[in-house]
Amino acid sequence: MRISELLRMVFINIMSNKSKCALTSLGIVVGSATIVLVIGIGQGGKLDVAEQFKNLNAGAVEVSVGQSADTMMENMMGGAPFGGMPNGSQNRPGGQGSPSGMGSQRQSSGGQSRGGRSGGMGFQGGRSSAVKLTEDDVSDIISVVPNIESISIVADGTAAVDGGELEEETEFTVAGVMSDYCDITNLSVQYGSFFTEDDDLDRSKVCVLGYKTAQNIFGAAYLAVGEFISVEGKNYEVIGVLSSMGSVLSGISPDEAVYIPYSTAAKYIFGSNISPKITAVAGDVSYVEDVVADIQTVLTQNYPNAVFTVTDAGSEMQAAQRSADTLQTLLIAVASIVFIVGGIGIMNVLFVTVKERTAEIGLLKALGSKRTVILMEFLLEAAMIALFGGVIGVGAGYALIPVVELTGTRVVAVSAAGILSLGFALITGTVFGFYPAYKASRLTPIEALNEN
Amino acid sequence: MEVISMKDIRKSYHMGENTLEVLKGISLTVNEGEFLAVLGPSGSGKSTLMNVIGCMDGFDSGEYILSGNAVHDMDDGELTDIRNRYIGFIFQRYHLIPKYNVLRNVMMPLLLRGASSSDAEEAAREKLDRLGMSDRIYHKPNELSGGQQQRVAIARALVGGPAILLADEPTGALDSVTGKEVLKLFCELNEEGNTIVMITHDMNVASNAKRIIRITDGELTD
Repeated sequence: MRISELLRMVFINIMSNKSKCALTSLGIVVGSATIVLVIGIGQGGKLDVAEQFKNLNAGAVEVSVGQSADTMMENMMGGAPFGGMPNGSQNRPGGQGSPSGMGSQRQSSGGQSRGGRSGGMGFQGGRSSAVKLTEDDVSDIISVVPNIESISIVADGTAAVDGGELEEETEFTVAGVMSDYCDITNLSVQYGSFFTEDDDLDRSKVCVLGYKTAQNIFGAAYLAVGEFISVEGKNYEVIGVLSSMGSVLSGISPDEAVYIPYSTAAKYIFGSNISPKITAVAGDVSYVEDVVADIQTVLTQNYPNAVFTVTDAGSEMQAAQRSADTLQTLLIAVASIVFIVGGIGIMNVLFVTVKERTAEIGLLKALGSKRTVILMEFLLEAAMIALFGGVIGVGAGYALIPVVELTGTRVVAVSAAGILSLGFALITGTVFGFYPAYKASRLTPIEALNEN
Repeated sequence: MEVISMKDIRKSYHMGENTLEVLKGISLTVNEGEFLAVLGPSGSGKSTLMNVIGCMDGFDSGEYILSGNAVHDMDDGELTDIRNRYIGFIFQRYHLIPKYNVLRNVMMPLLLRGASSSDAEEAAREKLDRLGMSDRIYHKPNELSGGQQQRVAIARALVGGPAILLADEPTGALDSVTGKEVLKLFCELNEEGNTIVMITHDMNVASNAKRIIRITDGELTD
């Protein structure tokens, strides 16, 4: 039998049973739509991750003073040091001897030559971050740790700002950073320039404004450079305005911040309540591990009792990427299940169809239909129904993207998802259609003819 | 010229421990241009014989030559081809495909053979014309009367130019007037040179044939 005639036969079969075929394809419709949405959501998740990290260098490392479970315990125990840190606690000011044998036994493992730096800060009863990173730590790191491309200390707080078109003093986020910060975080300057190393050293009264900050204070971003603003009563020259970023970096939204050289901010603006972090960029991603270890060594020497949290952007990105991947895998698993259910639906209906059309199959065999013709007839019918369902499903999937986006989930229309869906639909129809089709092809003509 | 040559065809059905011998050594020769009726009551084995003649069922032993083809040596695929080329089936209940129109029903044997749509349509129209059905070709079978449906079925049987027309109780589902018309048609077709084998339990029907053989308990008697 010619393929064209076979296809015409299949077409007539489907058209003479439209509603049944439509219902049969429902499972495939849902499956295909699910695949399109799932891939779209997965892709959206990946883009979200990528955007979240777009200002972070893969080689970036961030160090902050961590609040470990030990220090929390310490607070609860009325300030007695627990001494759980591997480097011991013998230099800890105000240490009253450890109530924990486990902790104190580890003291000897510390034995650092240079300690007590944190002594100057004093132990503030009940406050966990007794240790505060300083510019001196940055200098120490620069002088000791190789393969660091750029490094900056960062702290932020709020300060009253006045000037420009502001009618009254307004609170803004003020970030104290060093000149390298701009490179570390991939910030770009739209007007003017970022501050220099000299500004760090001289405690210059200059500032760089975030895009929205500049708009808020001066009405338009390009008007800001060269003007002065008052921060906590002192005047600062605006030397630059950043490009609009739209993202958040370690808790600071660059668009809405005022950047001031750290030394300046530390002296004039920040009180004692800040917790500065150090961020650095390794010369190459492969150095990140060494750099992390080296920085930890330096800081442990400076503050033997403190716990530092070191996060590197690379592994954070990887973790986020992994969770996005996991999400997608999970969603694809769900879609596969839907497809299998859809396939079983097709198989069921085909079984019923074979039963219903037994006499027809018998007649076709009597008239000279080869087994392969019967097999192909039913297989093509299943494939067509599935393909039809696939096309409808893919259309529905793309059409539903805006609806899903209403829930705040980011969905990206991926054209490959449509093709994949159609492929899946076709495969599902063919695979699940095979058994009923095979059964039909094995019917003997007399048995089939005598069926009714 | 011999169209059918059967020698000592035997066939048994096994049901559990019982063996039922349905065809007990049938030998039958049908020549070209004959109109033969096989007459027998139900249970005589006439349906089984019809299935064997029609190459729809195998048999245990014996020799069957259909138009020079040794049917007894053939596998399922070859038998399918033989049915398509040499046998024109006419069934009691017509067995038209309900979703196809008359034309397409008649075209089926040629389409299954691999003929092009246009060739098959031409041949089908010719046969439908011969049977007086040319004004009904786009109707569906359920829009036709029983007699008309049987005419369509006969057109389908004729379209492939078979060696024999094999009719199984062709008037069994028709009223007596229509049944007579169909039998008259059979006689005409036979006059035109078609070889016809008709299976029936009805002597009145069988009497239209030129030659009658009786089958009783799986054996032929003249």
